[in-house]
Amino acid sequence: MKDYQLAWKNLWRNRRRTLITAGSVFFAVFFALVMRSFQLGAYDRLFKNVIESYTGYLELQHIDYSDDPGLDNSIEIDSSLIDILKQDPNVTDVVPRLESFALAATGSHTQGVIVMGIDPEREDKVLNLSKKMVRYKLTDQARESLKKEPISGRAKKLLDLFSNESYTSDIRLMLDLGINEEDSAKFLPLFRKHASFRNPYLRTGQNGSVVIGDGLSDYLKAGIGDTIVLVSQGYHGTSAAGKYLIGGIIKLPAPDIDNIIVYMPIGDAGELYAAPGMATSAVLNLKSNNDDDIRQTRDRLQKVVPNPMSVKTWQELNALLVNQMEADNRSGMLMIAVLYLVIAFGVFGTVLMMMAERRREFGMLVSIGMKKGKLAKVVSLEMLLIGSIGVAAGVFASLPFVIYGHVHPIRFTGQFAKMYEDYGFEPIMPTMLPDTFYLWQIVVVLIILMIAIGFSTRKIFRMNVISALRA
Amino acid sequence: MITSIAWKNVWRNKTRSLVVISAVTVGVFAGVFLMAAMNSSVVQRIDAAVNEEMSHIQVNNKDFRSSAEIQNIIKDYPHVVSVLESTPGVKSVTGRIIIRGIASTAAKSSGVEISGIDIEKEKQMFTLSDKLIPGTGSFFASITKYNMVFIGEKLAKELNIIRYILTPEALSKLKEEGIPADIISRIDVLKDQRFTSDKKFAKAFEKILDPGEVSKYGWKIKDAAWSYREGSKLILTFLDFNNDQTSAAFRISGIFRTNNDMFEATSLFVPVDELRQLTGMPQGTYHRVIARLDNNDLTDKVTPEVREKLLEYEVLNWKEIMPDLAMIVDFIDQIYAIFMLLILAALAFGIANTMLMAVLERTREIGMLMSVGMNRRKIFVMIMLESIFLSIVGGFTGMGVSEIVIAITNKTGINLMKYAEGMEAMGYSANLYPTIDTQFFITTTILIILTGIVSAIYPARKALRLNPVEAIRSE
Repeated sequence: MKDYQLAWKNLWRNRRRTLITAGSVFFAVFFALVMRSFQLGAYDRLFKNVIESYTGYLELQHIDYSDDPGLDNSIEIDSSLIDILKQDPNVTDVVPRLESFALAATGSHTQGVIVMGIDPEREDKVLNLSKKMVRYKLTDQARESLKKEPISGRAKKLLDLFSNESYTSDIRLMLDLGINEEDSAKFLPLFRKHASFRNPYLRTGQNGSVVIGDGLSDYLKAGIGDTIVLVSQGYHGTSAAGKYLIGGIIKLPAPDIDNIIVYMPIGDAGELYAAPGMATSAVLNLKSNNDDDIRQTRDRLQKVVPNPMSVKTWQELNALLVNQMEADNRSGMLMIAVLYLVIAFGVFGTVLMMMAERRREFGMLVSIGMKKGKLAKVVSLEMLLIGSIGVAAGVFASLPFVIYGHVHPIRFTGQFAKMYEDYGFEPIMPTMLPDTFYLWQIVVVLIILMIAIGFSTRKIFRMNVISALRA
Repeated sequence: MITSIAWKNVWRNKTRSLVVISAVTVGVFAGVFLMAAMNSSVVQRIDAAVNEEMSHIQVNNKDFRSSAEIQNIIKDYPHVVSVLESTPGVKSVTGRIIIRGIASTAAKSSGVEISGIDIEKEKQMFTLSDKLIPGTGSFFASITKYNMVFIGEKLAKELNIIRYILTPEALSKLKEEGIPADIISRIDVLKDQRFTSDKKFAKAFEKILDPGEVSKYGWKIKDAAWSYREGSKLILTFLDFNNDQTSAAFRISGIFRTNNDMFEATSLFVPVDELRQLTGMPQGTYHRVIARLDNNDLTDKVTPEVREKLLEYEVLNWKEIMPDLAMIVDFIDQIYAIFMLLILAALAFGIANTMLMAVLERTREIGMLMSVGMNRRKIFVMIMLESIFLSIVGGFTGMGVSEIVIAITNKTGINLMKYAEGMEAMGYSANLYPTIDTQFFITTTILIILTGIVSAIYPARKALRLNPVEAIRSE
């Protein structure tokens, strides 16, 4: 009989013990995976939101811009520079931005805002801004008229919970109101009739018009067609002021930015700030957004860009956020470490018991001629098998949760949602699909098993056959 | 009797029992300690919020929070104060003038909230005066002819009031702190250069030192080069009571340091009389009345009482001002319970395994006990008790150890320097002083006993099902 066959048969001699031990490994692996998946999913989402609604994956800046953000640290991006950058295999486009602060006023309300001068069409490819334009808004009026329509009772009730909420897509709207896919086709026209509004995205050449964040629009109590006045300081200390028409309202998934953002064509921004042709940064649109590729692209570009420019990755651009997530990540990892520590003790206890219980059997086997090495190998295989059963079961059991959670992320409502938004997070909890963190669980279990195997092997080699036989 | 048999049974196989007990000990210790550390960051956040930033209860003019205009004042200040002071549970009351403005120096400017405060009262009510960075002056102690202002370190940095200079004294201080001489001689080239921000300074020494040295000594070097010239000035610009723009120069009385970057960067304090004079606010009027209670637990009880008596004002407690924090406080017990439950469930596997083993190897003995007349209920209880003893001995040891470690770390503190930047941006301290409610130990004890019971169910049933005649014959 082969070693592994022997080990496999041994496992089922004491079925209960095998199952309980494998069960404890399963338990740890399952919870660790589900917990990690939610945690990593949340970080991933958060970073994607910030990257996709603001910084982009890779940016070109003045070398001092990150320490001292302001127009005085802006750069000139001419076509020769763009050509140089585009020669890199991973760069598809270079999109300049002119970003600065301003005080925005409408009637009686004022608010400090970020003014972002963008190239509307090219920026759209980076940030997908046109898809984030608000399409429905559940205003008081819209809700009143909708309640008169034949939509389901539950949806009517939920309407009040989401009062004044804005939506950029049909799916989100239907999801919030608890309307399923079949009904949505029936009800959507009603929503289109009552709750939608014309909301065009920016166009190059259409001067004097801006797009503002949904949160900012709420704060300033200003909607499409209203006028907004921006006051600020321009390039080299000139004073800057301008009057603009609110052409559209956008809803960004990062509330921190949504509350203070004003987009305008970069030409307009250059005029406002007396910095025509200048840019405070340029987003590099990439073919591959994989972390390693981003880093390599950065290193390559860093060598070719002229002084005083530097290329920054999204991690460098959001250092604070990365640091916060790291702290949170560590606390999650600690919790899982505690869980595994406990499991390790359990496994160790089982091995101890098994060795004591089978002392006589081992003594017998050795005395009839089985080599100690072979015996140790069989016992080690047994333990590896128990571990593998636990890990495999844990992995398989976690998959439905993880995959379901990725496709239908948990959305918080009410106070929870508010708490998340106060911290600048989107109130949504997606999971992360299997990734390297799955491998890590296997590695951890393997380490635990190796310790146990080391113990059992040592025991076997030190075994005194005579006394073992008498046990 | 059964109890003592069960207890003795536990110690028949010492090694095996000890492995399980240590598993429980380690699990409970790790769980409790981790929770205490996490709990401390919440407790410290609340402490800071209540003691430094906002107190327990605030009374504002109804329109003040939605539009912070200077005219939205509390007209009948003595009435509000007397109502608050006559409410049981309220310890002390003071008024503040609060206006928005811009603070600027020659180099930079920044939007701020200016609070006019009653120095003596605030000193008694808040701990902010203790947060003064040594060597930066005082909390309005010296009497001068200038307007004085108390500002946060973050704001001082933003306004370039704090600079980084490696003076000869700073270098010798670093030497005393045990920084290798070779590093000091390398950064000597930066001597007496003036850096206006810590990032610029960091960039300069990062060019000289390698990353390992930076992460090891960087913060010490920054600390030593931190420099502030006493009596620095800043200009405050704001709208006065007639909506005219007013500017005035202020001398910095002192600089405070908290763990909340937002608060440090935007809050600035001046004596209330100075601010009243500059803004032309009518005598005896304030924007906000703040009250401190005897203790934090009274918050939920006192708030509605005050609200009822002051209907024409907006009455808010810290939980309403910071719902996110209140929510964490409300949920934290559940989070602990869930986490402990996870750990204990993992432990249950180990206990169940051991108990199963204990029952199976004692098949013959249990059969014997049955046949000499011990009833099944007693056998069930015996096995249950053995399992509970295993979990309780481990659990109590674990809680005892964690209690000791919590007491020690509560004195020494746990420093998470690496994450300070991110945590302080959210208002949390990176220096943790673990602490936990006694209530938590009670919950944990109950959960541990439950674990013992749950893990014994399967082995105990196994024992009950034994047929005495067969059991006696088994080996």
